[in-house]
Amino acid sequence: MSLKGFRRIFKPLEILSDEQVEDIKRGVLAVLQNTGMRFESEMALKLFQKHECMVDFDAMKVRFPPGLVEECLRKTPSSFYFKSRNPAHDLIVGGNTTYFCAFPGMNTVELDTWEPRRATRQENREALIVLDALDNLHFLTPYTPYFGFDDIPPVLSIPESAAAKIRYSTKLQFSGYQKDCEVYTIEMARVADTEIQGMMESSPPLTYYGDAVMSAYRFANAGLPLHITSGAVMGGTSPATVAGTLVTSVAEIVGGIVFTQLVKPGTRVVANAFVFPQNMMTGVPFFGSVGISLHEAAFNQIWRSYNIPVQSSAIGPTNSKGIDYQNCYEKAIPALVAALSGAHIIQFHGGVYGEITHHPVQSIMDDDVAGVIGRLIEGIDVSDQTLALDLINEIGPIPGFYLNTAHTRAWWKKEQFVPKVADLLPYGQWQKEGKKTALDRAKERMNEILQTHRPVALSDEQEKEIQRIIDKAQSDYAKKGLL
Amino acid sequence: MAEEKKDILDNLKKAVFEYDRQLAARSAVEAVEKGIDPIEAMNVMTAAIREIGQAFGKGELWLPELVGASDAMQGATPILEEEMERKGRHRESLGMVVAGTVFGDIHSIGKTMVTTLLTAAGFHIEDLGINVKAEEFSAAVKKHDADLLVMSALMTTTMTEQEKVIEALNKEGTREKVKVMVGGAAVTDEFAESIGADGYDPTAPGAAELARRLLAV
Amino acid sequence: MALRGFLRRFKPFEIISENQVEQIHESTLDVLAEAGVKVHHEEALKVYKKGGCTVDFDSKLVRFPPALVEECLRKCPSSFRVKSRNPEHDLVLGLDHVVFFNFPGRDIVDLTTWESRPPSRQEHIDLVTVLDALPSVHFLNNYPYFGYRGIPENMKEMEGAAIRLAHSTKVTMEIANNDIDRFTFRMAKAIGTEIFANPNASSPLTCYTDQTNACFLAAEYDLPSMIWDGATAGSTAPASTLGAIISGNAEVIPYIVLLQLLKPGARVAVANLVLPQNMKTGAPAFGDIGVSLHLAAYNQVWRRYGIPMVASASGVSNSKIIGFQLAYEKTIPSLVAAISGSSAVQIHSSVYGEISSHPVQAILDDDIAHMIGRFVEGMEMNDDSLAVDLINRVGPIPGHFLGDAHTRRWWKREQYVTRSADRLTYPEWKNGGKMNEIDYAKQRLEEILSTHKVAPPLTAGEQGEIERILQEAREYYKKTGLISSSEWRDYMKTLKDEDRMI
Repeated sequence: MSLKGFRRIFKPLEILSDEQVEDIKRGVLAVLQNTGMRFESEMALKLFQKHECMVDFDAMKVRFPPGLVEECLRKTPSSFYFKSRNPAHDLIVGGNTTYFCAFPGMNTVELDTWEPRRATRQENREALIVLDALDNLHFLTPYTPYFGFDDIPPVLSIPESAAAKIRYSTKLQFSGYQKDCEVYTIEMARVADTEIQGMMESSPPLTYYGDAVMSAYRFANAGLPLHITSGAVMGGTSPATVAGTLVTSVAEIVGGIVFTQLVKPGTRVVANAFVFPQNMMTGVPFFGSVGISLHEAAFNQIWRSYNIPVQSSAIGPTNSKGIDYQNCYEKAIPALVAALSGAHIIQFHGGVYGEITHHPVQSIMDDDVAGVIGRLIEGIDVSDQTLALDLINEIGPIPGFYLNTAHTRAWWKKEQFVPKVADLLPYGQWQKEGKKTALDRAKERMNEILQTHRPVALSDEQEKEIQRIIDKAQSDYAKKGLL
Repeated sequence: MAEEKKDILDNLKKAVFEYDRQLAARSAVEAVEKGIDPIEAMNVMTAAIREIGQAFGKGELWLPELVGASDAMQGATPILEEEMERKGRHRESLGMVVAGTVFGDIHSIGKTMVTTLLTAAGFHIEDLGINVKAEEFSAAVKKHDADLLVMSALMTTTMTEQEKVIEALNKEGTREKVKVMVGGAAVTDEFAESIGADGYDPTAPGAAELARRLLAV
Repeated sequence: MALRGFLRRFKPFEIISENQVEQIHESTLDVLAEAGVKVHHEEALKVYKKGGCTVDFDSKLVRFPPALVEECLRKCPSSFRVKSRNPEHDLVLGLDHVVFFNFPGRDIVDLTTWESRPPSRQEHIDLVTVLDALPSVHFLNNYPYFGYRGIPENMKEMEGAAIRLAHSTKVTMEIANNDIDRFTFRMAKAIGTEIFANPNASSPLTCYTDQTNACFLAAEYDLPSMIWDGATAGSTAPASTLGAIISGNAEVIPYIVLLQLLKPGARVAVANLVLPQNMKTGAPAFGDIGVSLHLAAYNQVWRRYGIPMVASASGVSNSKIIGFQLAYEKTIPSLVAAISGSSAVQIHSSVYGEISSHPVQAILDDDIAHMIGRFVEGMEMNDDSLAVDLINRVGPIPGHFLGDAHTRRWWKREQYVTRSADRLTYPEWKNGGKMNEIDYAKQRLEEILSTHKVAPPLTAGEQGEIERILQEAREYYKKTGLISSSEWRDYMKTLKDEDRMI
C-alpha cells in the first residue's frame, strides 16, 4: 500500500541544456572547494576534518574536496519508502511520482475581513482533519497548519504541532527544529509507530547554524529521512541571477548532504528549494513571482540529474491577503512548473498570505488545483482505442456525432478532471442557485468534511505516551528557563 | 585650491551615485589632506544619498541602488568621522541611531536595508555590526546619546536577545531616553509589544517611516 | 520593427513521444483519405478535384490523397509577418516565439453583481483602447465584445471591427459569417492594414460555405488565415484527446489544402478551441484539464508540421467572477500552451465562457501573460550570470549581495514585477484600504483610459472610407433581409445619436 500520488509518464520539462547543468555543477564544486561553507557546529567541523575536508575552526569554515562531495551525492538514495502508522498513507518518494504537501501559516485568517488572527486548538485540529481528508494532499509540513495556537508558548509550538498532526492525521509529516525540540518529535513518532521527516535549513549564503546541524544529526542517527533546504533570496542572500542562485542554493544543500552522509551513509534526503527573488522595494521575499518558477524548474532538473529526490516549497506562500484571483495564479504557475519539471514533492495546500496565514478552505480549493495539475502530468493514453481511427471513419462528417457512442462512455471521464468545488453551472442555473462561487462551495465542503471525516485514531496507550512526551518537553523547558 | 576642493567634493558625490566605494575612500583621504571641512564633505554624500532615497520613494530606483550607494559612502565615512572627532566637530542630523544585529545572529542584510534608508532620510547611524551583545548595545546608546536603537534578529532563537538588550537599557537607566525598534523575519507586532519595544515594521521602508514617527521628525 | 512576443529559449515540453506524433499524423491522413470531409462550396470542390482529390459533387464529400496533404502542409511558411498600418505593431508569428491576444466575451460583466449585459459603444471602445495599450497583447481577436447596444445582430461584429480598426493599430481578424469578412477586409485594406481571415471547421469533418469562402477571400486579398477547430470532445469529436486531435486536424487541413492550391505559400496558422463536454449540462467544460492535455499534444503535432499554432481554449473559464477559479482555469492551460510550443496564446479579458469580458480582466491577464512570457524566456547562462567569482568573494554570512554591482545589473532582467497585484505587508495593506488585485487593475484602467491614444489615429479620409463601407454593408443586409425593419429603425436612431448618419 502507499499513497499513489501522481505519476508523470512523459519526460520532465527541461529549461537547461545538458551543458548548462554541467556548468552549474562545476560552479557548485568550485564554490564548495574554494570558499566552502560556514558550519556553526564544532561536532560537524570535527567530522569534516576527519574526512579530509579543510577546516578553519576559528572561522567555523569548511572547504570540501570535490571527490568527497561526489561520493556523498552518490550515497544518497534516489528514492525511498517513508512509513506512516497507516500503511495507506505510506509514501514512496522518488522516481516519476509527485506528491503534494501542505503549506503552513503563523495564523488563521478571517474569511470576511481577510485579517489574520491566532488559531485556536480546535481550529488547528479542524485544519488537520481537512488535510487528512483531501484526496490530493499527501504530506504535512512542519508547522502545519499553524505555527502555534491558543496560548501555547513559542518554545512548545513545534512539539504541540507535531502531536496534533500525529493525533488528527495519519499523513506523514516533517518536524521543524527549535531549542532541540526534535528530540521530542522523534520520540513521538516512535511511540506512534510512524516515521517523521526532519529538516536542515541553510542560512544563505553558505551557512548552517548549530541548531540546523543538530537537527540533521539527530534525524540521520535515528535513521529517519531529512529534507535539506536552501532559503536564498535572489539579489539579497544569493546572486540576483537565477543561474548564480542555483550555484549557491545547490551548494548549500550539497554541503548539508555531505554532513548527513558522513553521519550516516545512505540517509534518505530530499533537496528543497524555498527560494524567492527579493522584492526590491520592500526587502522582503517576492512571493508568487515568476523568478520562483525559473529557479525551481532548473533546480529540479539539476537534482534529478544528481538522482536525488527534490521538493519545491516556494510555491505555498502568496502576496495576496485573501483567497482570490492573485492568490491562485501566484501558486498555480509555480506548482504547474514544479510538477512538469519533475518535483517529487510540491508544497502547496493551504497557504494564503506569505507564511502569515493558512486556512482549510484554501486547502480545499488548492486540492482541486492539485488534482488538475496531477491529471495533467498523468498525461495522455496512446492506444488504438484513444486514437479512435476506426470510430472517426465510421462516424464521418456532420450529421455524425459522438455523444451516444460506447467510446465516449468509456473515455470521457479519463480525459477530464472534475474539480470538487469549482462552479461548473451554466449562467442561468448559477443565478437561480444563488450565484455560488468556488469559495462558497469550498466553505460548504469544509463543513461536510468536518462532519463526516474521521482520521484513524491513536490507541489509548499511544495517546498517553504522546501526552507524556509533551509534558516532559514542558518540564524540560521550564527547567532550562525557557518557559 | 577652490578648483581642487570642487573636484574632491564632486568625486565624493560621484562615488555615491556610481556606487564606487574605493573612489569614496580615496576622495575622503584627499579631502582630509587638503583640509576640506569634513562635515561639508559628509553633507555632500548624505545629500546624494537623500536624492537616491527620494528616487527610491518614487519607485525610480530600488534597494540595490540604495544599498550600493550606502556601501560606497561607508568607504568615506570612517575617514571623515575620525577627522571630525579630531577637530571636535559634530554633524547635524535628524537623530542619532545606534544599530546592530543581536548576539548570536550574524545576518546583516535586514539591518543594512533599514540603516541605509535611515541615512537617506537624514539620520546619523552608529552601526555596531553583527553578533552584538546586550551590554555593547547599552554602552553604545549611552556613549552616543542615541535617540533611537534599531535591532535586527533573523531567527526565532535570537529574537529573544532583543528583550535582553531592553533589560540592559533599563538597568543602565537609559531606556526612557531612547526609542527602540526591533526587526527580523520572525518578529511580530505582538512580540515587539511583549518585550517592551516601541515599534516594529516588516519592511525596510516601513521601518524608516516608523523611525521618523517615533522621533516625531 | 514588429511585435514578436517572447522568445522561448528551451525545447518545448513534450507530452507524447515522436513515434506517437507520427501515429497521429498517419491516422489523420487515413481519415482524410477514407472518411473524407464534406465541403459545402461548389467552387472549392472544383479546386480540390483539379488538385487531385476524389470529389463526389452530389454528396459534397472530398477525399484527400496523402501526398497532396503532405505537400500542402510543407508549403505553409513556418513563420510570417502580418502588416499593420503602424509598423511597430506588425505581428510576426513563428514557432519559437509566443505572442498573446485577447479572448472575446459577448457582454461586459458588472464587477459587483457579476451579471453581464451588452456594452455601450463607449465601453466597447474602452476595451479596445485597453487592449491596444497593454504590452502583452500582440494582436486582437475579433469582437472583443459582440458589438454594442442598439446594433442589429448582423452588424454587431462589423461595427466592432470598425472600432478595432479605428482604436487600435494591432493586427486583428474577422469571422466568416454572412459575408462579414468581405466588408471587413475592405475596411482593413482601405486603411492599409492586413487582417486574418478566420475559416472555422465544423465538426465532425465538415466545411461550410461561408467558412470555405473565407479561403477564397484570403487568396484574393493575399491575407493570412487563422483556421479554427472548435470541436467538443465527446460530442462532435471523440472523447479521447488523441481522437479529438486527429478528427480536428482532419477538419482544418482541407482549408490548408484549399489555400495552398489557390495561392501556394499562403500564410496559415491553426487555432485550437477544442473543449471537453460537460457531461452534466451539455455545455463545453470550460477550463477543464482536458484542454491542457489536448493543447500540449496538439502543439507537438503542429510543430512537426512546422505551422504556427494558436491556443484558444486556454482563454475561457467556467467561473462567473474574477476569482480563484478563473485564475487556475485560464493560467494553467495558457502556461501549458506556451511551454509546449504554441505560437500564440489567447488569454486577455475573458471572464465567463464566451459570455463576458472586462477590461479589468484584460489588465490582470497582462500580468499573467508577462509572467508566462518571462518564464519561457528562461535563464541567461554565462560567467556573469553564474557569478561564481562573486559568490566566492561574498562568501558565507555575514556576506550578502544586495549592494553589489552585479545585483544592480541583473535583478530587473531576472524578475518580472507584476503591475496589478497586491505586494504590500499586512500593516501597509490595512492602512491602504485593503486593496486587492482588482482594485489595482481598476486604477491601471483609469490611467490607461486617461492617457492612451491610438497611434497613429485614422485620418478623416480613412474614417470616412470605413463609414462608407459600413453603410454599404448595412444596405446589403437590409436588402437581403438580414436586418429587419424594426432593427433598422433602432439602428438608424443609434447612428443618429452617435452622429454617424451618412
